Amino acid sequence: MGVASSTDEVVAAPARARGITRRQALAAAAVTGVGVGVVRLLGGSMQQIAAPRTGGTTDWISPLQAESARVMQLLRRTSFGYTPSHLETALSDGFNKTLDRLLETPPATPPALAIASTPGGRFPIQQLQQWWIDHMLTTPTPFAERMTLFWHGHFTSDYRKTADDTFMYWQNLTWRRMAMTDLRSMLMKVTADPAMLRYLDLATSTGQNPNENYSRELMELFTMGAGNYSEDDVREGAKALAGWQLPQPDSIATVTVDNKNNVTRRLPVYSSQKEGVFNQRRAFSGSVTFLSKTGRLDTQGVIDRILGQPATAPFIANKLVQHFVTARPSASYVTALGDTFRRSKYDMKTLMRAIFTSPEFVSEKSYRSLVKTPTEFMVHSAQALGLTSITKLITGSGSGMGQSLFDPPDVNGWPNNEAWISSNTVVERVNFVTAVLGQVKGSLPPVADAVHRHLDGVLSPQTSTLLNQAADERARWFVLLASPEFQLK
Amino acid sequence: MKREVGINQLKRRDFLKAGLVFGAGASGLAAGYAAVPDAFARAVYAAKKEGMTNENILVMIQLAGGNDGLRTLVPLADPALHDLRPKLAGPMVSQALPLNSQYGLNHNLGGIKGLWDKGKVAIVQGVGYPNPTFSHFESIRIWETGDPTRRQVDGWLGRTLAENYDSKGHPLTGCACGATGAPGALRDLQATLTVIQDQKKFGFTGGSEVEAAVGALYKGTPGIYGALFDTAIATATETMATLRTSAASYQPMADYSDQVRLVYSSKNQLAAALQLAAEMIVTGTGVKLLHVTLGGFDTHYTELNRHDDLMGYLDSAVSAFYQDLAAHKMADKVLIATWSEFGRRPRENASGGTDHGAAAPLLLIGDPVQGGLYGEEPSLTSLDNTGNLKYAVDFRSVYQEILSGHLGADSAKILGSSFDRVSFLKAPVAV
Repeated sequence: MGVASSTDEVVAAPARARGITRRQALAAAAVTGVGVGVVRLLGGSMQQIAAPRTGGTTDWISPLQAESARVMQLLRRTSFGYTPSHLETALSDGFNKTLDRLLETPPATPPALAIASTPGGRFPIQQLQQWWIDHMLTTPTPFAERMTLFWHGHFTSDYRKTADDTFMYWQNLTWRRMAMTDLRSMLMKVTADPAMLRYLDLATSTGQNPNENYSRELMELFTMGAGNYSEDDVREGAKALAGWQLPQPDSIATVTVDNKNNVTRRLPVYSSQKEGVFNQRRAFSGSVTFLSKTGRLDTQGVIDRILGQPATAPFIANKLVQHFVTARPSASYVTALGDTFRRSKYDMKTLMRAIFTSPEFVSEKSYRSLVKTPTEFMVHSAQALGLTSITKLITGSGSGMGQSLFDPPDVNGWPNNEAWISSNTVVERVNFVTAVLGQVKGSLPPVADAVHRHLDGVLSPQTSTLLNQAADERARWFVLLASPEFQLK
Repeated sequence: MKREVGINQLKRRDFLKAGLVFGAGASGLAAGYAAVPDAFARAVYAAKKEGMTNENILVMIQLAGGNDGLRTLVPLADPALHDLRPKLAGPMVSQALPLNSQYGLNHNLGGIKGLWDKGKVAIVQGVGYPNPTFSHFESIRIWETGDPTRRQVDGWLGRTLAENYDSKGHPLTGCACGATGAPGALRDLQATLTVIQDQKKFGFTGGSEVEAAVGALYKGTPGIYGALFDTAIATATETMATLRTSAASYQPMADYSDQVRLVYSSKNQLAAALQLAAEMIVTGTGVKLLHVTLGGFDTHYTELNRHDDLMGYLDSAVSAFYQDLAAHKMADKVLIATWSEFGRRPRENASGGTDHGAAAPLLLIGDPVQGGLYGEEPSLTSLDNTGNLKYAVDFRSVYQEILSGHLGADSAKILGSSFDRVSFLKAPVAV
């Protein structure tokens, strides 16, 4: 079944009875008058590329009663966009089979990044960013990348403080491998991750004089949320977690860091990926009172006690739901997902399956209720245009939209949804579209198909008018990619 | 009487009530705007008074991560400091720039020390709030909203915009410089504000045709984010027009530099952000409330060099900014104030750094200031039960003085209450 030719099936939103106030009706009437300023750029004759599908209300009309629309929503939220052939496969498989494939296919391993063996991890971070974007664009398992990005924002680290881009590279590999395992194993990996040991200072903490940074964020940002532990828990947790150190390098290389002044530095070299090591002599030897229980406690004990707290499962579920379903989930929805997660012994596949099969995921309210992250927006644009050679443009454009990979704004990672929208970020999104279209040398895919593949044919009066007035295919692609519809998922 | 409410509108009002405002709940600081229907926002603007009459301007500088107050305003003669900080105390005391026999500024704050000598720096000591939280994100939210009970969702400056300024059609009234997202302090459902990361790059690369097309595309956008998108584009377009004019007439009269040595590179360019602020101020764009951020103050580790570097960066950027304003004869209008979510723990940790703390000093800089030390010095020997400095001045006392004394706003209305006065202004506006 081709999407492009199935306009009616995809978009036929039944004319449900909707109350429209006079004010809304007036607003709808007013917005159909398109500014004269666009006529030059978009000076073509009127074409029936698209018809408005918002029906004069001020909300999008959900097409999700059609399975094809549900499949497209699933793909938009679990991948970084799709090519026509990805979509064809998913549509012929249907929602359930597509979901099975997303959840059950093991993550494709990205090609090794040769430069990551540079002593001391001293190589430009752009190399790592480009390596990841390349993989997002070409991987056969985009859901793994989507989850890796989620964990990169959750168990976050930045290359500035980590000060070793090889550690950042390892962290990315680890997050991908563990992305769909279980929270208990994940938290152990997170604690012993070299980039994390640096980023949240656990590598320099001792039982004698603990550094609280990791202990606090482990509970506040990674598992339980503020208000569910005390300051004493932070302190006692810091004691119990102390003792981790960075892995020993396999050798030390003497590298000239300043040719002019002949300055050299001795930098660590690792022959393979390593984890942090626990040094019992730096650990705390006494007993601690942590989350209401007293006794000797090692790192696994800390993690298990956190997993025993009722706050943990809903905290993780809530954050995932905000990335995959809705910006403001109901408490009962989060509670139910949290229960499922806890009962499954914190199994990620169980939780993600529960999320994607919940009625909330495809409810009318869920339609276009999430804002694409800058990375999703850019990679989706490339996929929609069939471009794989714009990696440098993508890595160079993220920061103005608020997302530079391996460089989150702070220890809470990136914000989501409405926080992506400001006067600065919307301009940068539009500028990215201008730049991308400037790099297209050959012919463009037909917009008439893309309107259905990527926007479900559900358009505002503005977008449809501009598409119909556009002078040529390039201008129509500009309208599509710069439209509010395309920023949403 | 029958109320005329459509289904969609009802749904959206419920959405607002449900709290699509700040990142409440488990998401912590995932703060954002509420999506508000355009028509609704417009109705509120229309009901607002014309705006405020005085010409004063406020620039807030956020020292994000928790600035170490003891290394900013250094106690010179307290032996307890050396017990608490065996590694960190020595150099910071010996190198400090003395203000009196008891206190000195961090040795890298030489430019600000020069302004102190001219009576243009007020330092309020021991600023905090009751039952402090040691979470960055909780405490940032408390400072941003001005509400330690965490019920308020709008920012204190956002409420000031909404309450006092007719920002419709004047999106530059509130502006975040050097950022990509709106800082929480400036957010409010009914406040329009501009966010500019880098002025050199702020514009449509596709030119006026793209600008016109996008302007037509983002009108009456449906959905919960519709008004937010439309406002962002309209604001950006208007601001670009304003900045085209101001950039042509502005000549910087100071040397702004972001080429500073830092232990690890900064995420934001403070000097460039302040230069943009200066441009908007001296060219009469109507800007009133500005916000800039310098990150990197979460010094759990190797604090010695790192904090000194940050102090130096702050000092050079603020000094250039003040010099520029003074050369353009605008220094008498502008109050510069620093803020940070908390100070740091008096006792140092194993990593040569300090963990999250509580009370700390705030710097208020500019011609409107009556120079001197205010507040109360926190004791290093009588710490609270978390080992932190006890606060003496509620941070809202400082906000109150800024709002009523500098901006001429009704601070009780904005802050919801009145607080003890801290009279750090030379000639507070009579309200």
